[in-house]
Order: sequence, then C-alpha cells, then structure tokens
Amino acid sequence: MTKSIRSRALKTAVGLLLAGTVTANAQDVVIWGGFPELTGYYERVAESLSGKYPDLNVIVEPIGLRDHEKRVALGLSSGLDDATILELIGSTANRYIVNDLIQPAPEGVSTFVNDDSNFEAFFQETAKVNGTVYGVPVFRGQGALFYNTDMLAAAGLEGPPTTMDEYDEYAAKLTQRDADGNPTVSGWSLRLSGGGGGIAEKFWINLHQYGGTLLEKDGDNYRAGYANEHGLAALKQYVDAVSGVKTVTVEMPADAAAFQREQTAMFIRESWVIGDTAKKAPDLNYKTAVLPRGSIALPVNLYVSGGSDEAQTAAWDFAIAANEPEHLIWMLDNVGWLPNRSGVDYSGVVAAKPQFGAFVDLPEDYVFFTLPSIEPINEILTRFAAHLVDAYADESLVGNDAAMLEVLKASAEETNKILNRAGILAK
Amino acid sequence: MLRRKQFWFAIMAILPTFAIFGWVRLFPIIETLRLSMHEWNLLSKNKPFVGFQNFIELFGDNQFMDALTNTAVIAFGAMAVTIPMSMVLAAIIYHRTRSRFSGFYETAVFIPHVVSLVPAAMAWKWIFDAKLGPLNAIIMGLGGDALPWLFDPVLSVICIIFLVSWQTLGYGVLIYLVGFRNLPKSVFEAAQLDGANGFQSFLYMSVPLLKPITLYVSVVTLISGFNVYAQAYVLASDTQGAPGRQVRVLVLDMLENSFQNFRVGYAAAEAVILLSIVLLLTMIQFGLLRGKGGR
Repeated sequence: MTKSIRSRALKTAVGLLLAGTVTANAQDVVIWGGFPELTGYYERVAESLSGKYPDLNVIVEPIGLRDHEKRVALGLSSGLDDATILELIGSTANRYIVNDLIQPAPEGVSTFVNDDSNFEAFFQETAKVNGTVYGVPVFRGQGALFYNTDMLAAAGLEGPPTTMDEYDEYAAKLTQRDADGNPTVSGWSLRLSGGGGGIAEKFWINLHQYGGTLLEKDGDNYRAGYANEHGLAALKQYVDAVSGVKTVTVEMPADAAAFQREQTAMFIRESWVIGDTAKKAPDLNYKTAVLPRGSIALPVNLYVSGGSDEAQTAAWDFAIAANEPEHLIWMLDNVGWLPNRSGVDYSGVVAAKPQFGAFVDLPEDYVFFTLPSIEPINEILTRFAAHLVDAYADESLVGNDAAMLEVLKASAEETNKILNRAGILAK
Repeated sequence: MLRRKQFWFAIMAILPTFAIFGWVRLFPIIETLRLSMHEWNLLSKNKPFVGFQNFIELFGDNQFMDALTNTAVIAFGAMAVTIPMSMVLAAIIYHRTRSRFSGFYETAVFIPHVVSLVPAAMAWKWIFDAKLGPLNAIIMGLGGDALPWLFDPVLSVICIIFLVSWQTLGYGVLIYLVGFRNLPKSVFEAAQLDGANGFQSFLYMSVPLLKPITLYVSVVTLISGFNVYAQAYVLASDTQGAPGRQVRVLVLDMLENSFQNFRVGYAAAEAVILLSIVLLLTMIQFGLLRGKGGR
C-alpha cells in the first residue's frame, strides 16, 4: 500500500516536472496592451514568427488604457512570471525604468533601435533612458482635425479652418440648432468630461495652437506654463464654446462616435479614427487637416519584462518583427495608428485613404510636443482636468478674463506644488 | 490531563482558521496603517517614514474633500432610500405570501443584487443618457425638459445614489422578509383585537420590533455605500462618444493615487480615514438602535 502511494507520488512528481518542461518549451509570451484595436496586428506578427518559433504561444491581453496602466503598475511591482511585452508610452515607462523594473534591451535590439535608417532621433530618444535603449518604438498618437465635408459644404465653408479664430467661426456656422436655439449637432466637439487626464491632454493640444504649453522646461526641471495669455486664450475658447455661444454642450454626444453618427461637424483626434470610421461609418464624407501650429505626439514603445531568458529572446524578436514593413502597413491600413519606423513605403495606404495625409504630409514648421517623462505627469493632468471640468461649465466665467485667469493661477499653483513635491520644480 | 489535551486539540483545530483570518483580514489592515505613515511610490525599495504628513496633506486636498463629501452623500443617500423602501416592499411581499406570485416578487427585487455591477451600470448609463436615454424621453413626453443626468454635479451624484439603492434594495428586502416572518403573531393579533388597523400595526408594532434588522441592513448599506466605486467609474467611463462627469468617490481617489499617481502611502492614509469613518458610524448606529430598545 505504502509502496503504491510512493510510486503514485513519484509518477505525479515526474508528471508535474514534464508538464513544467512542456510549458517552458512552449515559450509563452504575453502581450499587455492598452489599445484593444491592435489585437489583430499582434496576432499577425505572432503568426509570422511561427516558422522561427514553432512552439511560441503569444497571448494577447488588451484592455482599456486606464486599466492597462494600473495592471502594469501592479504587475511590474509584484513581478511577472511569463515573458511579457508591455505596450507603454515612453513617459509612462520611464518611472519603471528608473526603479529597475524594466531591464535594458539586448544588444541586437539596441542596434536595431539606434539605426537611423529605422527610426528618427525623436522616436529613438523616447525608447531610451540616459542613452540606454529599453524599448522598441512601434506607433504613435498624433492629432489632426477631422471634419465632415458635407456639413462644411452645407454651411457654405470651403476647406478646413487654419487658425484658432477660424475654428471658432467654423464652429458657430456648423452648429445645428432646434427651434429653441439649443444645439443638436455640435460645430466642434471638445473633450469636456470623463475621467483621467484626457481632458487636460486635449486642452494642451489647443493651448499648443496658441503657442502655450502646460509645463515649461527649465534645465531638468519644470513649472506650470499655462497661467498666462496663452492659457487664457485656450480656456476662453472652451468657456465661450460651452457656456457662451454654446456651439457644444457638456451633455452632447462627443468624440469619434459622435463624428461617425454625424452628431458633430469636426473634432481633433488621432489617426486611429480613420480605421475606426472605415468600419463603423464607411459612407461618411470627411477629410482631415493639419492643426494650425502643431500636434501632440505620443510614441508607444514595446518593452519586455519577466519570464525565462529563452522566452525573453522570443519576446524581443516579437518586438522587432512587429516593425516589419508588411505588419506596419497592415496596421496603418486596418487599425489606423501611425507607425514610427522610417523607410517604409506607406504611399499605397495614403493614396487609398487620403485622410492619412494630414498625419504624414506636414508643413516644415509643424511643431510637435509630447508628455514629459516625469513621475507626477498623470497627477498633474488629472488634477488640472478637475479644474477645467468645473471651469467649462461655469457660465459666470463667460467674458470674465480676470476670473478665468484666477482659475488658471489656482490650478498652476497646484501643479507647481506637485512638481515641488517631486523635487523637479524650476525656480 | 485530558482537559489539557482537549484544550490543545481545540487550539490546534482553530489555529488554521485564525491564521487565515490573520493573513487575509488583519495583516492588510495593519499593513495599510503602516503604509499610511510612509511615502511610497509602489516601485521604489525605499519607503521613508513621514509620520502624519499624508493625513495633514489630505485635509488640504480639494479632490480628497470632494471625494469624501460625495461618498458620504452617496452612502447616506443610499441608506435613506434603501431602509424605508426595503421595509415597505418586504411588508407588501410578506402580506402577499399566499399569492402565487410571491416567489416572483421576491426574485424580481433580489435580481439587481446578484446582477454583475459593470453591465448593470452600463445599462443605467444608457437610461440616464441625456440625448438617447429613455428617462429623458419620458420626461420630455410628459412636457418636461431633458436633464443632463450624468453631467450635472448634483444629478450625477443622484444617479449613483439611485444605482447603489437599486442594487442594495433586494438584499434589504430579503433580510426584512426574514424579520417579518419571525415577528410574534400573537402581538399582532392582540393589536388587531384592540382595534389597530394594518397601517398602525406596521408603524407601531412592526417597525419597532424590526429594529435589529434595521440596524443590520443600515450597517450593511452604509458600508457598501462608502465603498462605492464601480458605479462612479462606469457612469463616467471614457468610452467613445459619451463620457459622463467623473463623480469623485473615495475608492476611486485611492485607486488613482495608488496606481496612476503612484502615491501608495497617501492612498493608504485615505483608506485609514475610510476605515475610521465606517467604524465610527457603525458604532454610532449600534449605539442608537440598541439604546432605544433594539436587541
């Protein structure tokens, strides 16, 4: 009896060991992403690696961006069992890198990223910390104006607005109202509600058009840069639109969904809207236009953490394979995110979908900005967003520049306090 | 000798339960208390001791004060709706026990309690939608004006109170039904002989006799109200096209401070304050209801 139990226990142990070996050989690679629309792209890349890695098992686990950020924070701080490819914006990855939770990329990957024929210096830099490569650039978020050509024609407008004053004029002409004068179709959809720092990020894009910035860099430090005439111009535009002339209201349908349902005439968004609209509203007549001064550029990179050495090698190979021209062209065509790799011929896609033109054919003096890689960036954006939400809906601010400036000053004080606490407040 | 053996046997038998309780219940509380006095960014190996600094900063933090106010309003609002409604509904269902639909009534009010919160909140998000929602359609059909339910600072809090009450109501009704079924029939028969009508019996007999049940339901409702999170999160979720106003509640603020702002010590201080409030209110509720004849 005892022998039988021992024998069974031995068999079980051997079985478990074999199972472990099989799992290890299977080379599980998990992808944690914050953009569910990229699932098909990653699956294509995985398929293309089946020749080199017959046992590679790529598990794509995308969730919403806000939850993804929480998952990465928890996952990295508590340790990852499987080799995990993390889809992160450079500024977000920075905090994990400085805390040694993401390791440098191997030499081959570093060479690939540092090759100027593969990536421009801007994208190389976002994948590095102190000159060391930690990630592989893949795609970026970049804004442009989307406008409904039928609505512009109906309003007697030719071509897109090119200055911020024209944006206001266009919004007023494009707004459709009911018999009581209440807007039924917004002239220009703005981000006015929701959680997280998105509201502040979108405000920053408009602020940028006025020549302003949310955070001014001074050496290695920062200070709030919006409690001035640029910030006032941007806030005034929002407050007038929402509480003054009411070309948009807080409760109106907004964003890409509203644009696709023809509930708004124009809005500023990233290139993924093109892929999304092709699926959801293929008959919509729309064009895109560059913004008056420049755009936000949020490069997303792939980082690798956890797992065995073999699985990590496979994960890094995956990150490089994700930059193969055929996959990048597929991503641009089918998903709409802008690939970062240089030297790839995207002209076929741009010709077939001319809306991509405003994202790739840019004026020479077009100015990009990105979120700085500082630890409290999320807190700064989230807290500023809370002030903005209240200000947008405050009708007493309409025409009251002094009160609006006070709102900005109070918020800037809070921003500076956060920077000071992080030890990076510029004097 | 035997008694000593029995004693040690009892200790050994109960030890695993105590160990599990200590690990999953006590340790997290103690760890939260400890963290609340440290500064920690979740990633760093260093956790410098800061004493009560996190607590001092919290009481000057507008977002925290907003979250605290909203959470308290939601918790007390949900309790104020749930207690009387569940008691009345339970009374009605109890007096219709012989009806062949009694099972249906019980199930109908209990279903929201077991429905998964996120899809339920998504459904309510559509109901409250300013442009497409059926609630505004009804209001406009009756000649009223459409209301921005999910965008107005006051209305958005009312929506969450409604959602929390909708979910806790079924549980409250179920517990009150058990209470009604255990009330002594003889007392009600005596009251009936003395000429009391149904409403008087309910008000002067059932309500006081159900005080222990009211205590239990109010404690459970209040605690679940203070832990509100998913409702606020989903109603303001950033899905394309129709986000709503973010009603800042304590749990949401804690999560944001922990995993987006990377201020775990600060979030732990919020958790300690939440724990203290819930404990204090529970003690007050016990005191009030026991002191006035509750068992």
